[in-house]
Amino acid sequence: MLRRQFLTGCACCGLLGRSSTLLAATPGPLPARLERPEPGSDEGGLWSLLSREEERLKRSRFLLRDGALNAYVARLACRLAGDHCPDIRVYIVRSPFFNASMAPNGMLQVWTGLLLRMENEAQLAAVLGHEIGHYVGRHSLEQLRDAKSRTALGQFLGMALGAAGVGAAGSLAQLALLAGMFAYSREHEREADRIGQELIATAGYPPIEAAKVWQQLVAEVKAEAEWSGDAGSRSIFFASHPDPEERSQAMANRAATMNGDGGDPASAAYAGQIRGHRRQWLDDELRRRKAGETITLLERLLRQSDDGETRFFLGEAFRLRAADGDAARALREYAAAEPRSDCPPEMYRSRGMLQRQAGDTAAASASFQRYLSLRPDADDAEMIRSYLQEGI
Amino acid sequence: MSRWLLVLVVALLSGCAGMSKVGPGEVTVRDSLSVTLDGAWNQYSIGLTRKSEVWTLDGLPLDRLVFHVGIADGEALAELPQRKDRQVPKYQTTMQAHEIVEMYEVFATHDGSSFQRQKLAPAPFAGGDGFRFEFTRVRKSDELEMRGVGYGTVRGGKLYLVIFEAPRSHYYARNVGRFEAVVSSVRIRG
Amino acid sequence: MSRCRCWLWLCFVVFLSLPVRAASLAEGFTRLPEGAVVLLMPLDIELFSVSAGGILEPQAEWTERAHANLRQAFLTRSSALKVNFMPLPGEGDEVEVVESLNRLHGAVGQAIAMHHRGLFALPTKEGRLDWSLGEEAALMRARTGADYALFAFVRDSYASSERVAMMVVGALLGFGLSGGMQVGYASLVDLASGRVLWFNTLLRQSGDLRELEKARESCDALLDKFPE
Repeated sequence: MLRRQFLTGCACCGLLGRSSTLLAATPGPLPARLERPEPGSDEGGLWSLLSREEERLKRSRFLLRDGALNAYVARLACRLAGDHCPDIRVYIVRSPFFNASMAPNGMLQVWTGLLLRMENEAQLAAVLGHEIGHYVGRHSLEQLRDAKSRTALGQFLGMALGAAGVGAAGSLAQLALLAGMFAYSREHEREADRIGQELIATAGYPPIEAAKVWQQLVAEVKAEAEWSGDAGSRSIFFASHPDPEERSQAMANRAATMNGDGGDPASAAYAGQIRGHRRQWLDDELRRRKAGETITLLERLLRQSDDGETRFFLGEAFRLRAADGDAARALREYAAAEPRSDCPPEMYRSRGMLQRQAGDTAAASASFQRYLSLRPDADDAEMIRSYLQEGI
Repeated sequence: MSRWLLVLVVALLSGCAGMSKVGPGEVTVRDSLSVTLDGAWNQYSIGLTRKSEVWTLDGLPLDRLVFHVGIADGEALAELPQRKDRQVPKYQTTMQAHEIVEMYEVFATHDGSSFQRQKLAPAPFAGGDGFRFEFTRVRKSDELEMRGVGYGTVRGGKLYLVIFEAPRSHYYARNVGRFEAVVSSVRIRG
Repeated sequence: MSRCRCWLWLCFVVFLSLPVRAASLAEGFTRLPEGAVVLLMPLDIELFSVSAGGILEPQAEWTERAHANLRQAFLTRSSALKVNFMPLPGEGDEVEVVESLNRLHGAVGQAIAMHHRGLFALPTKEGRLDWSLGEEAALMRARTGADYALFAFVRDSYASSERVAMMVVGALLGFGLSGGMQVGYASLVDLASGRVLWFNTLLRQSGDLRELEKARESCDALLDKFPE
């Protein structure tokens, strides 16, 4: 139903009616805690809608409820938010897109597609810091007032109401957030970038990591444009945010005036926290069928950590892309995965399929047998056995 | 002015019925399949495409039986208009059952729904060898938990898939028996 | 007629094909028994205002009032059969069951709204109101002691007639309904069997949930021909 599904970056919210003069010049302590608006006010309407949405989100089947991971991300957000910590609630949503968003009522969403793409704690802190920057920077939602004269937004909301009016429980606010309804001006985005980077520097992380987040994204988007022609240009993100390359450059420049790359990005800590979740997130990533982005991402993750799981998924990405020479590329990655300790048994199944397709029946049989011995109760065991029988 | 538009649109549309009855008896699906039905189903007539049909017993928001008929090498199961060509998986004649289900997963999750394959095994279908798979899916739009089952086979280099999906609560169990009966009667014509 | 692809288009057409107000009864059911207790499921209501430029603004105060008003109207409705509406008892493990049943009802309600009458009527149903929530309904009965449950869904907004015209044009171009309409349905479910006993659809350009007395009118419209 939603036309714009691909969103790279954040759709951010702030509060109405307050100007952002406070943090114009001096970095320093964050402003005092913000008060809940009156129900009858402009923002009251939004706040109340978002509170209802938050209630729904709490019950959502797409919410990741793992205690340890939630505690970790919440702790990080709390550290960065200082006095505002009690007002911010973190929700991790299972969705393969790169996205994080902060609602005016303090509801902070982080999507698993984003968590997958962070190389370390510093990078996640940079994203959280940016969102917190919007919230505490008291960026105004003049956009909504402005938007009253902008038909496009009205049509979108009309579409959303139409969707809601058919009885789908699907949340209007989520749709709105997704499409960047609360998108800020580019000035606000730049300010949030600055606040976020200052917050992570204060917290002891290398400020250059903030720039890397966007560099990494740019690389993925470029690769996808090359592969499929999809430049992501129809996404709301590009309309409402400064160009990611520009942001990355601005943040790199700022980092040079700060601590630069000094400080600990906490890669190991981060890797440890997401280890148990990555498989599912990578499965979700593969299903997107954006081979350019996926392969660029996996090659980057591989440079960070040459482990069996990453090698396997890179192999899968090649296998599913199925361009000329990809079968061979996939087999090379599976071969590299095999000796590594965390190589998933599914590697043997995939390898068997490629070998079978290439007519290498003996090798395929061996691969399938190996898979069955490691996963005797697999849901597809019967199917694999039938492949083996055909090979005779 | 709005009243006139409403009247006009209703008049235009009253000529086409949204749903048509199919069965009981022998029914042809997209000119390529024949099925023999014990009871009647409802065909979503407005949604017919050259190679697919959708049927239902209790309504499209609830249960759906989808036929994909004669998908040829290089063709997609359905259109995904927001995607570029290379972002849409196409059927290849070299595909094995696993890969066909992987391809189906992309269409089942393109709206953000989750998907979990529960079973994949060989099974007779359409008078020959085929495969059967089961899955669960949480629908993104209303977060309703769905259960599904599908059958597939390749004949003459073309893919034939029949999939049934319904809410896990009440509707799947209520209607899946009728689906299995339909499937057992499927024959490929010509 | 060429293939209609856009789901929104379909939904628009569905609502066009809805009679303005239509209540249906399941086979073999005419009235609730005297003194029946009907559980009032969480009402799904959102109210919006539509500005001149067409922006729909969620209206918290209105929505909160509408919730309260509609709930009040339901709970204090005078009934010939002394049918009593019972509010859902407080939080607890019910939340999961209520959520699950609500989700299923959302889909069932959509199916009935689309397929019971009009353009997308299902031939196999032969005009019967023949839908059920199945076994899960009995869980609610066990938890609350109620024999029946009422579900209601309302989307309401307030706008000018020019807005309505734009809405129609917009819908033809592929955008959904917006503005100046009251859309909703209500359904009565037998919790023992899960059967939907009574269903009413509402589509009109009037109605006001913001004041209690006017909300009673909307409540009456939603419960038009309620079998009490």
